[in-house]
Amino acid sequence: MVQALLEVRNIRKAYAGVQALDDVSLTVAPGEVHCLVGENGSGKSTLIKTVGGAVQADSGEIIINGTSFGSSISVIQSIRHGIQIIYQDLSLFPNLTVAENISLSQMIEQGEKLTNWKRIREVALRSLAQIEEHIDVDLPLDRCSMAQRQIVAISRALTQGAKLIIMDEPTSAITAEDVRRLFKAVRRLNEQGVAMLFVSHKLNEVFEIADSVTVLRDGKKVGDYQASELNQDKLTFLMSGQNLEYKPFQFDPEKEGAPLLLETRRLRKVNQFHDIDLKIHAGEVVGLTGLVGSGRTELALSLFGLNPPEGGDIVIDGSLVRIKGPEDAKRHGISYLPEDRHGQGLFGHQTIADNVVATVIDSLRGTTGLIDARRRDRIWQEWIDKLKIKTPSGHNLVSSLSGGNQQRVVLAKWLAVEPRVFIIDGPTIGVDVVSKARIHDVIQELARTGMGILVISDEVTEIMQVCSRALVMRKGRIVAEFTDLQSVQESEISQVVAGIDGSEVVA
Amino acid sequence: MKTSFPKALLARHETYLALIIILFSIVLANATTGFLTAGNLLSVMRGGAGLGILSLAFFVALVSGGIDISFPAIAISGQYIAIRAMLAFGINSIWAAFGISIAIGIAYGLFNAFLITKFKIPSMIATLATFNLYHGALLEFVGTEAVNVGRIPTSITEFGRMAIFRFETEQGPLGLSIFVVVWGAAIAATWFIMRRTMLGRGIYAIGGDAEGAKRAGFRVTRIRYFVYGYVGFLSGIMGIIHVSLIRFAQPNNIVDTALLRVIAAVILGGTAITGGRGTITGTTLGVIIIILLDRHLIMLGIPSAWTEFFIGIVIVVGVIATHLRMKISRVRRGELVVDRAH
Repeated sequence: MVQALLEVRNIRKAYAGVQALDDVSLTVAPGEVHCLVGENGSGKSTLIKTVGGAVQADSGEIIINGTSFGSSISVIQSIRHGIQIIYQDLSLFPNLTVAENISLSQMIEQGEKLTNWKRIREVALRSLAQIEEHIDVDLPLDRCSMAQRQIVAISRALTQGAKLIIMDEPTSAITAEDVRRLFKAVRRLNEQGVAMLFVSHKLNEVFEIADSVTVLRDGKKVGDYQASELNQDKLTFLMSGQNLEYKPFQFDPEKEGAPLLLETRRLRKVNQFHDIDLKIHAGEVVGLTGLVGSGRTELALSLFGLNPPEGGDIVIDGSLVRIKGPEDAKRHGISYLPEDRHGQGLFGHQTIADNVVATVIDSLRGTTGLIDARRRDRIWQEWIDKLKIKTPSGHNLVSSLSGGNQQRVVLAKWLAVEPRVFIIDGPTIGVDVVSKARIHDVIQELARTGMGILVISDEVTEIMQVCSRALVMRKGRIVAEFTDLQSVQESEISQVVAGIDGSEVVA
Repeated sequence: MKTSFPKALLARHETYLALIIILFSIVLANATTGFLTAGNLLSVMRGGAGLGILSLAFFVALVSGGIDISFPAIAISGQYIAIRAMLAFGINSIWAAFGISIAIGIAYGLFNAFLITKFKIPSMIATLATFNLYHGALLEFVGTEAVNVGRIPTSITEFGRMAIFRFETEQGPLGLSIFVVVWGAAIAATWFIMRRTMLGRGIYAIGGDAEGAKRAGFRVTRIRYFVYGYVGFLSGIMGIIHVSLIRFAQPNNIVDTALLRVIAAVILGGTAITGGRGTITGTTLGVIIIILLDRHLIMLGIPSAWTEFFIGIVIVVGVIATHLRMKISRVRRGELVVDRAH
């Protein structure tokens, strides 16, 4: 057997009484692609930080290429022995050039005092050539796409003599096409004997590239598997410890006699969307899918008043309305859950409670004009319970929550206004399978109370699991409608999304 | 995919600054007599050297992702303490003047760095506090007495008259003032540090992402000490240039006008207030615009009281222009899909 590149034995680590890692072992062979999967909070991050020297384990052993470092290794030792961690934020400098981003770490390591621009470019070009990538090295990094930035981060790791590159959630911020490009670069590295350890909670990608998979749950190792012996359901089960039921949602507005809540007639905006006729009835979950740039998010924003349309009508409860801003939308009972929950959805430095009531603060004013504290507390308590937000107290900061729980706080915030039409953009971006299933349950539960829901997602699977009806947008138009999602195949919808079903759109 | 030469030039902030300077010069040359004379241009540069040096200091602090607004207090402390010490001990040497002023400048700058790195106080707050601290200490412990031209040490006044490339004209002898030489040296030194040393790349790096810089191996604390120490160093130099220019020392000088003009010049020069971005060329062009406005609005018949007003407008327009240019390039890159209304 080939000597393991990295061997981690029986690692334990506790934080303030919580056992983050409990007797976890992991082996990575040279040139392999290994995946470390688990839900949010399962201990993946702690484990890679232990290997990188950012966190010191309580007990256990770390062995790199046969050299044992005991239970803890320093950052410098880890780097010198070929371990490179690329965190999700990439730790790149947006204001410097591609060449500098790739080469500076090596220059510092070698104790350079002066900046040798010629060498900086040479090192960068050589490193990019190693993975056969071409990026203009003189370009400032902030002119590069997310995928190019990841390539830059990998190239930087290579200049440091990386033998094992650990990437934390590399695929959560990039498109499917970019993922393929990234994987191609990874394959070239494997041929050169460089191993990769991916940390992920997204499942389909794991199968595409991994040789072997290690599953963690609640700080314990569930097991090591060959990627070939796993499938989606089995992995979900291993990660969550439970079989997640997938409950299709069927709803026929005509049969149920459900009233029409929102309708658009020939809604349009130049270069964004054209002639949109959309109907949302009480009690249904309408899915809207399409590629980035198909106009789906722009359309949703215009219904919420953040991107006013240039023509066409919006009809609510049978009467024509004008929505010029979020205030109008709120008054007409429309809520919008944004895709980017960090940028738009949450106040990270405030408490969970304050975030939940932020949307209804005006209505909490009592007769004196001051906030009615009892009602406020009742509201946030109610939503924390209803959405099962995992926290010891509503007075904790939102930033202390895991991704899935944060997403639920955003939901709570927009549900507190008791909307009649709820637009949800990317409801489960960046959350693990279990949280995802819970959020899907909540969405269907809300629909049963008579709310009309529009779910926007680029995951066709998600649309099929949560919606009763699906619309596909391409080049700014709705090109297909699927009313019976039980009788279509996922691939049928995907083909329409990608525009390879033969239909042509005149933009 | 290389950008073509004229396009690359048009994309640069500095190009627009240079155009503004040229346009303004054409207006001045036509509307006034005596603008485009060697005597006037040399005199403008001599008068602007102090502002130029302080702007370099402010530029370096901004690039590092910090800010230092205590520099006027540092400059006047260095100047006034040096002059009073020279008078008290009967020293008459320009080297002593620079030595004392620079030593005080560096010490004060390092104290700023200490507050910012040790106690993690935001640099804006820390230097706002030390501005008052340094100036208050000067007034309280050193005094408020003005030193007029008759008592200023002769080495200082002689330094102020020094010039190179002297030549005779009908209006009298002209030359390139020693102040401009010092300014030029400061530009060269700052350029070398920022562009040609790892320290300088570290300053840009921490301005881009301080946490990332630490992970990349830069010694962030040490770099911050350098940045604020360098601000103090340049402020100390400016203190002596200033007294050599006006031949009068009074502890409320510099603190009264320098801050606004320096901020205006550097922001106008395209340095990002958020750190990590900015060039020395831009900064220097920004300085030239400010000194042209400062000195020549009056020649256009605009009362001097309006100078402040115009500098204010220049800051507003400069900031808006920078913001718009960044937004346009983001839209082109497709990062900004729709204009979200808030």
